[in-house]
Amino acid sequence: MGAVAAFWALSAIAVGSALAVALVRDLVRAVVALVGSFLGVAGLFVLLSADFLAVAQVLIYAGAISVLMVFVIALTPRGARDNSETAMRWPALALAVAMTALMTTVALVAHWGPQVKEGLTETAAAIGEALLSRYVLPFEVASVLLLAAMLGAIVLVREE
Amino acid sequence: MRDLGNAVGAFLEWLADVGAPSWLLYVVSSLVGMLALLGWALGSQLFFIWAERRLIARMQVRLGPNRAGPFGLLQPIADALKVLAKEMVTPRGADRLLFWLAPIAVVVPAITVMAVFPFGERMVLADLDVGVLYLAAISSTAIFFIFVAGWSSSNKYSLLGAMRSVAMLISYEVVQVLALLSAPIFVGSMRLGDIVAWQGQYKAWLVFLQPLALLGFIIASAVEVNRTPTDIAEAESEIVAGYHTEYGGIRWGMFQLAEYIAGFAVAAVVATLWLGGWTLWGLEEWVPGWIIFLAKVYGAFFLFIWLRGTLPRLRIDQLMAFAWKFLLPLMLLNTLLAGLEVLVWRETGAPAAAILPAFALGNLALAGVLVVGWAVLLGQLRPERRPARPLLVQEVGAIYYRPLEEAREA
Amino acid sequence: MGEPLVVNVGPQHPSTHGVFRMKLTLDGERIVDCEMIMGYLHRSMEKLAEERSWTQNIPFTDRTDYLSAMTGNLAYCLAVEKLAGIEVPPRAHWIRTIMAELQRIASHCMAIGTFVNDCGAWHTPLMYMLREREKVLDLFELACGARLTTNYMRIGGVARDLPPEFLPRLQALVQELPHRISEYEELLVENEIIVARARGIGILPADKAIAYSVSGPMLRGSGVAWDIRKADPYAAYDQVEFDIPVGTHGDCYDRFLVRLAEMRQSVRILEQALDMIPPGPVQTPVPLALRPPPGEAYGRIESPRGELGFYVVSDGGPSPFRFHIRPPSLINLTPLPEMVRGLTVADAIITLGSVDIVLGEVDR
Repeated sequence: MGAVAAFWALSAIAVGSALAVALVRDLVRAVVALVGSFLGVAGLFVLLSADFLAVAQVLIYAGAISVLMVFVIALTPRGARDNSETAMRWPALALAVAMTALMTTVALVAHWGPQVKEGLTETAAAIGEALLSRYVLPFEVASVLLLAAMLGAIVLVREE
Repeated sequence: MRDLGNAVGAFLEWLADVGAPSWLLYVVSSLVGMLALLGWALGSQLFFIWAERRLIARMQVRLGPNRAGPFGLLQPIADALKVLAKEMVTPRGADRLLFWLAPIAVVVPAITVMAVFPFGERMVLADLDVGVLYLAAISSTAIFFIFVAGWSSSNKYSLLGAMRSVAMLISYEVVQVLALLSAPIFVGSMRLGDIVAWQGQYKAWLVFLQPLALLGFIIASAVEVNRTPTDIAEAESEIVAGYHTEYGGIRWGMFQLAEYIAGFAVAAVVATLWLGGWTLWGLEEWVPGWIIFLAKVYGAFFLFIWLRGTLPRLRIDQLMAFAWKFLLPLMLLNTLLAGLEVLVWRETGAPAAAILPAFALGNLALAGVLVVGWAVLLGQLRPERRPARPLLVQEVGAIYYRPLEEAREA
Repeated sequence: MGEPLVVNVGPQHPSTHGVFRMKLTLDGERIVDCEMIMGYLHRSMEKLAEERSWTQNIPFTDRTDYLSAMTGNLAYCLAVEKLAGIEVPPRAHWIRTIMAELQRIASHCMAIGTFVNDCGAWHTPLMYMLREREKVLDLFELACGARLTTNYMRIGGVARDLPPEFLPRLQALVQELPHRISEYEELLVENEIIVARARGIGILPADKAIAYSVSGPMLRGSGVAWDIRKADPYAAYDQVEFDIPVGTHGDCYDRFLVRLAEMRQSVRILEQALDMIPPGPVQTPVPLALRPPPGEAYGRIESPRGELGFYVVSDGGPSPFRFHIRPPSLINLTPLPEMVRGLTVADAIITLGSVDIVLGEVDR
């Protein structure tokens, strides 16, 4: 019973904040709402007993991506810094409707039910082992991608 | 009183006998934990406002506050009353919602992070399986709201100060997380309760096994909580004002609260991960664990106070260079070494009493060699960076000037 | 973030050592230009002095450089003595030397303490150095009744003789000081952070220093060995032995080292003075309404900040016709825009601290 109430509360936070990101006029307020949405999603992960994912969500998204957004805003020229109506709003609405239709169809068609017999108790260890045994190739590729991004950033800001 | 965890457990059992439903038990136990943490954090902060000022005064050959109450003990109350009575001005162009939100959002992570610390044997609010990662995650959320504080002040100097603070904080966060990782590598679990139990079981504090990581963590955390030698955000000799310039009254008080409580949190991390938590080589049979833990936390916090009273401040670009060029490679090397040592231990299956002292001595020696060697490699011990003495001449008229670049080549 | 930002430092600011204003034009983090605005403490001393008698002007000289009042007194008295051709008894020469060197120690304590404070050490070294300064100020109070504005020198000597307990207390202080200075050297000179903050910052090459007429520890920090105590000796300086500390790179760190070493040399001079001070009268009698013959004279000394000079012109009357102060702080400030170009704001504040200005002197 408590889990259901928590689910509805956290979903309200996540979805409401996401709506606020799109609808709020001021860009920094939009980013604050985005952080709220991230925290809501982290709460939903906790509800699913995915503790490692929840904490990683907070660490990466609320902790680091928000700071990335902050620097993006700070480097945007002042004139482009508002979140108001643009010429793209009708195509954006059409895309949003299409995405909603797609996701609703998927949600209704898919088989929702427990996929494993028992839940994991130590998710972090399981994820770690999976990353280094079954999914080691994507892991390495992701590492190389991050390295390339860092080197690119350093190359871009060098003063010649 | 000896074991407060037992007392709370007994209370909950009594509640269950009286017939309370399970959700009420859950709520009551969480509430007790949260109130206890909040009470402890705020009470310690009040005490340490006084203690820090008296200690720094002693280091500076003066007395410190001694007017308000006996020995100045009521000084924090006086400070709190003063802060509450001040006018809270909101600047005209400020974003009112964010301006109001920022101080609150900076305090919340500082207090929330305390939830995972084991104060005693069964005195944890939430012994998460991913405790160490939780510490890193929650402290990283405060960084964004420091920027929000600077942004919503509508003061270009506050914004510049906030950007510099944020750049500094994210640089040192990387170092901090890498330093934090060394403990789980050795112990094999990210649960803080497990880490403390491991240190109690092997009677080996991780400070002896991972001195380099502790050093890196202390430096990185001093930066993360904005304490000297890295309190650039609050420095009065930097004209670009800090992010909390426009905040008056209790709003500024909240920023100070966040700084102190974050300081306690960092001291508690040091005490739990490296100094053995509530264990003391078997003494915890007689002395309550939480007393041992608090003694270690306050000892670690005293180290921060000591650093504040002694060291001058670094410039921000020097600070960032120090993080990326000096500390980060050292922490990476340290993580690699820790992993290697654990592998060696597991593969050889040697008894702990033999191999752990070997690791300790090896790590200590290696820490010294790495620090000095890396400093020399980075050129931080060049001749013109070393302390010098002036020339003493007898006659007037000669010129002894040499440009610094020439000295560099020498 | 692209256009230059103008940042105003002062006049009310904890780190400008007085009411001094700098308008810094920043490009990003670096300073491209610095405009200095002074005059907030102008008290028109030079004009006021023309209405007071020669002896009545001595308290003015306390208040120009209020952190080293004895040397201010001394310079003015030397100028008037040159003008009027008054001889000073030997004991007065030695007392003047002792007071000037004690004042140098006190002033350098303050200068070094506030410099390290600007580097960010939250007052701890300053508090330690103020300990020594207090002892020196206690000695001043013993000799002339005042700690800061001493008004002790008179035209023709000093105001009154030293009380009997002065010399033993000075002996005790002189024995204690070398240990304290070693303490400071250990705490401050060897400190990595101070080296990192002050090395290579605010460089003034020797040729520029000479071109700008810079003097004092700033000139010696740039490598030029010039000290008026040796080049143009006054009081008893030609009878004592001491060295001149000289830096080599002209940055803030070298100036800081020079000041610290000068404190040691002052202690050396005091030790010699304690042995060599002769008994005798301390003031040549001089009429109260002194009327020096018409003419001009320039008396200069090595104050803790540099060459403090008094240019006095007499027309035969009871008051000076012209009373001009050559303030070392003002002249030393002139190369500041060049020194801070390319530095960050924090470094500019450290550079200003290393110039060691006293606004009373700069603005008069």
